[in-house]
Amino acid sequence: MSEGLAEGVGVARAHQFETVAQQRQAATLGIWAWLITELLLFSALFLVALITRIEHPEATVAAARHLKFWIGATNTVVLLCSSLTMSMAIEFSRMGWQRAMVRALLATAALGSLFLVLKAYEYYADWEEHMMPFLAHRPFALEETPAARLFVNLYYVATGLHALHLFTGIALLLGMTWMAAKAGFLARHQNWIEVYGLYWHFIDLVWILAFPILYVVNRGP
Amino acid sequence: MTPDHPALQLWPVAASATAVETDELILAFTVLTLVLTVPVFIAITWFALRYREGSEADRTPSGIRSNLIEISWMLIPFLLTLVFFAWGAKLFIQSKNPPPDAMVVEVIGRQWMWKFQHPTGQSEINDLHLPIGQPIKLRIISQDVIHALYIPAVRMQIDALPDRYTQMWFKADKVGTFHLYCSEYCGTDHSVMGGKVTFMNPGDYQDWLVHAGAQQGKVASGRALYQAYGCAGCHEPGSAVRAPGFAGLFGSQVGLADGRTVTADAAWLREKILNPNGDRLAGGGKQVMPSFAGRIPEQELGLLVDFIRSYPATGHAAEATR
Amino acid sequence: MSASGTIEGAARREPHVPESTIGRKPDYLHAESTLRSWFFTTDHKRIAILYLTSITGFFVIGALAAGVVRLALIVPNGAIMTNDTYNKAFTIHGVVMVWFFLIPSIPATFGNFLIPLMIGAKDLAFPKLNLTSWYVFMGGALFTLVAVVLGGVDTGWTFYAPLSTAFSNSWVLPALIGVTIVGFSSILTGLNFVVTIHTMRAPGMTWFKLPIFVWAHYATSLIFLLATPVITTALVLLIAERAFHVGVFDPAFGGDPVLFQHLFWFYSHPAVYIMVLPGMGVISEIVPAFARKKLFGYRFVAYASIGLASVTFFVWGHHMFVNGQSDLASLVFSALSFAVAVPSAVKVYNWTATIHKGSLRLDTPMLYAMGYIGLFVLGGLTGLYLATLAINQHIHATYFVVAHFHYIMVGGTVLAFLGGLHFWWPKFTGRMYSEPWGRVSAVLIFLGFNVTFFPQFILGYLGMPRRYATYPPEFQLLNVLSSAGATILAAGYLFPMLYLVYSLWFGRKAPANPWDARGLEWETASPPPTLNFERPPEVPRIPYDYPIQATEAKDQHR
Repeated sequence: MSEGLAEGVGVARAHQFETVAQQRQAATLGIWAWLITELLLFSALFLVALITRIEHPEATVAAARHLKFWIGATNTVVLLCSSLTMSMAIEFSRMGWQRAMVRALLATAALGSLFLVLKAYEYYADWEEHMMPFLAHRPFALEETPAARLFVNLYYVATGLHALHLFTGIALLLGMTWMAAKAGFLARHQNWIEVYGLYWHFIDLVWILAFPILYVVNRGP
Repeated sequence: MTPDHPALQLWPVAASATAVETDELILAFTVLTLVLTVPVFIAITWFALRYREGSEADRTPSGIRSNLIEISWMLIPFLLTLVFFAWGAKLFIQSKNPPPDAMVVEVIGRQWMWKFQHPTGQSEINDLHLPIGQPIKLRIISQDVIHALYIPAVRMQIDALPDRYTQMWFKADKVGTFHLYCSEYCGTDHSVMGGKVTFMNPGDYQDWLVHAGAQQGKVASGRALYQAYGCAGCHEPGSAVRAPGFAGLFGSQVGLADGRTVTADAAWLREKILNPNGDRLAGGGKQVMPSFAGRIPEQELGLLVDFIRSYPATGHAAEATR
Repeated sequence: MSASGTIEGAARREPHVPESTIGRKPDYLHAESTLRSWFFTTDHKRIAILYLTSITGFFVIGALAAGVVRLALIVPNGAIMTNDTYNKAFTIHGVVMVWFFLIPSIPATFGNFLIPLMIGAKDLAFPKLNLTSWYVFMGGALFTLVAVVLGGVDTGWTFYAPLSTAFSNSWVLPALIGVTIVGFSSILTGLNFVVTIHTMRAPGMTWFKLPIFVWAHYATSLIFLLATPVITTALVLLIAERAFHVGVFDPAFGGDPVLFQHLFWFYSHPAVYIMVLPGMGVISEIVPAFARKKLFGYRFVAYASIGLASVTFFVWGHHMFVNGQSDLASLVFSALSFAVAVPSAVKVYNWTATIHKGSLRLDTPMLYAMGYIGLFVLGGLTGLYLATLAINQHIHATYFVVAHFHYIMVGGTVLAFLGGLHFWWPKFTGRMYSEPWGRVSAVLIFLGFNVTFFPQFILGYLGMPRRYATYPPEFQLLNVLSSAGATILAAGYLFPMLYLVYSLWFGRKAPANPWDARGLEWETASPPPTLNFERPPEVPRIPYDYPIQATEAKDQHR
């Protein structure tokens, strides 16, 4: 991976490593291991959602009818665009174009925030439609089908956990951008951008799994 | 302690054919376990002595090909144990498929009591009377958390789940009284959620249904409720709270704080359980009992009153049913 | 116990590498001595010591709770304490021992200390992350501990829904949050180990030259990474249900209580191997060192570690034979559980074969290792009893289960932990402990353990359910016996704590390689310098290069 880097771009070796190549390899493997763990965190939820769909098809479809398909679809596009800007940031970092990289990072953070805004609006619409069964004083719209409740609860836990990841991701991204704007960053920590990029693509990937599992397959018979 | 003292019995009583076969299975498995482990234990001990540092022992390599050894000690014990998998699975499948003529007893578990209802309508709490020689199917559900009904004498247990029925069946073949437990941890009084199962000759069982089942069963059920709802914690003689006892209460004249006197009849006792703040008692005791209105179903209130009615003039609750 | 007796055990063995003291840099213990240098250290060895100290503390708390449980069970009628106190005591015992002692025990202490040494690295791949994981661990553990000590939790360590979400009035929520946080510490430790073992090996240290200890930790780390997130999901769902009534498990909210058991055991069965595999790694180091013989069937033992870590993901349903799962599922899970016996048997037979024609020294670590083999065999085979469907219907949730997993967890993991602690104590601290006291304690623990737990097999078959504050009077004799054994066991635990701490100041200075053992960790000084090796270590031709080697297995070390 160290090939293709521009002059003056690289990684400062930490004391425990023998070579920079070893350090890069460790960082990449580390983030992959973390992502596999995270994927399993979500996959348990998705699996339960799919089982719910198989065991209670009607109730699940009835509940999924209240999901805002077009907000979900728009959000998918928003996140795909953010992955694109993240990839651009990585390329710029390799070429040593620091300003362009910072701008691409900021664009990524902005798209991520847009996703959260749309998601928040969707939650608000759910609240309006009495689709929050866990609120004690707001009767649930589909009270008569307990399985619908199960699906809706899973939906909130899964999307809430994803939103939490995205929120953390944006906070980390902004913090890293602040540091990356300083002189000499690319000479010492170029691989931070690469490693972070993998995490961002992962958040995107989780949504790309969540969208079909929660929204698409339950759109109706 | 005599040799037949219960504390010295190291093998549980088996009260069904399945229980006997389960015992045979575990005994056979234990023999296999010994066959597999004793050589290892002996080998370790023997090697430890024989090959101690400084001992004169032949340490030349044996020259045995290791892959062959490895594969044999991987597979041989595994294949031997598979026999027991098959035997256990066969017995398990049998115990999962009740015969169609089984007598169905409904079982409800809740914190912390069992309720059994016989096909003829009689119900009991915590204790269960059943005939021998007749397949019995228990249909089990829970009203709150997960419990499990466990009858060691027939070597069976099954969870009581809050949202679906489970079942257990057996055919007892030995007359006697055995333990019945809750075996899935269910909260504070988990360990007292249980009673006795009594296997009887079919004739005795019919007799019990007609006579004792209706009468004595009622009082025993009332006593179980008295424990389960926590009444005993305060009303039993010797408790720290020193709530009024029930000895000789039923039918007696009770003095009230406002100077009136009432007769402790069934209607008054029922009302006092539901609304303890009404009709304060004379004597200046502090009223701490919570209201049970809406917490005890009507039918169980009747059982509690029956229990108080039969409470002995002196002594403890336990004697009410003995 | 005279002073000469103390030295006698180790004095026979001259140090393998003569110790040079002139011009040596200070070791990791003495490099710096401020509190700051400990609490902000990134040295894997110091972090291991931080873990060792904290988990010893948790072990003491868990053991005290066990003492309370055994005290209560001396009488059958619950006269010593209320049911509620008893329930809280066994919950503390389970939560603390499983989550805060057994799971981190060997990996976070010995693994942390030894993996970089054994593979010839200067540190783990991510030293700061390593320190973070200790803080995460302590944060979560103390959070839970405050909850269980101040308020008490009465759900048992398994937190079954809906008891834990809707019915228990105790401090379940903080306990759950704490356990969830501790899970992240496990994930970070596992991640660090996987990356370290993959990328930080010294030149020439190929996979099949790695000690089994490293293999076992590699397998354990995979379980950390692949199973822990699932329990995190399950616990997050429990928290959401208890705090916000987002009902996924409680049927009152449309949920399914059995679902929690599936998610819980999908983690918690592999978690058993998180506790067992590192112990096997320790035994695989001790046995060859004290038999002076190359480990028999090295490759098979290495593969068996990975095999165990894989099979363990497919057997979780054997915890649920009586909860109404389909008969087919029960049959499949039962059959798969029997397959666990294969890699376990490989390990036991290979250790036994290693002793065969060796040149044995029965020092303290070896005594623990031999005790381990015996108890692990019993624990493992009684596991097969439980995997047999018809037997399980009877002994599920009885004291038989309690006895079975204590044979694995205490007879297995704790003995391996103590064996390893004695084996590497000179390396950790640079001091020798008292050998006679070590042997006495090892024997005492072995005896005390068996007196405590063997009667519980009988109790279980007689039908005494677990988690019972009161029990029928006919079980009293065996329960009293068990409690008496617990007293012996407690004494056995107490001795090492005393003489090991004593040795820190008054023990004889340890040479670099007091046991004349093989492995890179013995090539450096005791205790090692901050960056582990003065000069790059030389990787040996084959692993376990001990004097006695069978020539039979040419294909073993190609």
